[in-house]
Amino acid sequence: MSDALPVDAAALREEVKTKYREVAVNPHAGFHFHTGRPLARRLGYADAVVARLPDSAVEAFAGVGNPFSQGALRPGERVIDLGSGGGFDCFVAAGQVGPEGRVVGVDMTEEMLHRSRAAATALGLGNVEFRPGIIEDLTVEDGWADAVISNGVINLCADKRRVFTEIMRVLRPGGRLQFADIANGKEVPAGALRNIDLWTD
Amino acid sequence: MLEQSGFVNIQIGPAVDTFGGAGGESKARLFEVFGYAFLAHKPT
Repeated sequence: MSDALPVDAAALREEVKTKYREVAVNPHAGFHFHTGRPLARRLGYADAVVARLPDSAVEAFAGVGNPFSQGALRPGERVIDLGSGGGFDCFVAAGQVGPEGRVVGVDMTEEMLHRSRAAATALGLGNVEFRPGIIEDLTVEDGWADAVISNGVINLCADKRRVFTEIMRVLRPGGRLQFADIANGKEVPAGALRNIDLWTD
Repeated sequence: MLEQSGFVNIQIGPAVDTFGGAGGESKARLFEVFGYAFLAHKPT
């Protein structure tokens, strides 16, 4: 398999930013994916967990699976959420790690960061922090995290090998990567892979 | 790619019909796209 990337990583990043800026600003606009509370229910998040969160913390949720279905986080753990969006998974994580734990969400879309920070303030969560950045180059020290989570984001990165290398760097030895993402059962034609528009539509 | 990146004890959960009923359903069906939850560990 060639190491050449199918699309320009920076150009794809801008396309993704444009799409998720729309979700952040108007999450009820209607997209090719589900969003918000109906999506959380569809993906198997516990109703009681979602119900305690305000709309502002849930409505821009646009994940593709449930990373917590592979096991709950543990009290006191340090967690990084890659592509934290509106913050929904960070808030679920905060409930699991408790006040002694820490959650750092990383997102490259300013509008999503604004939304997630506002929701964290509304929830009174002092142990959840949102940082601007790209997940291929995290502003987190080596070995800091007990767990890295992500939901529907890694598939939107052109250089997945670089993402996994970066995750390995920030995890402590024995740490876990728990993420949800899409995978296709039928091969996508090479021409379609090179079409950036198809990555986000 | 997870293995190539050094992760071990990799587990994959059941498929979830992420796009069913959404605008992207037809394209998802075309390429059999589903959501999955993954678990992988950094070696100790």
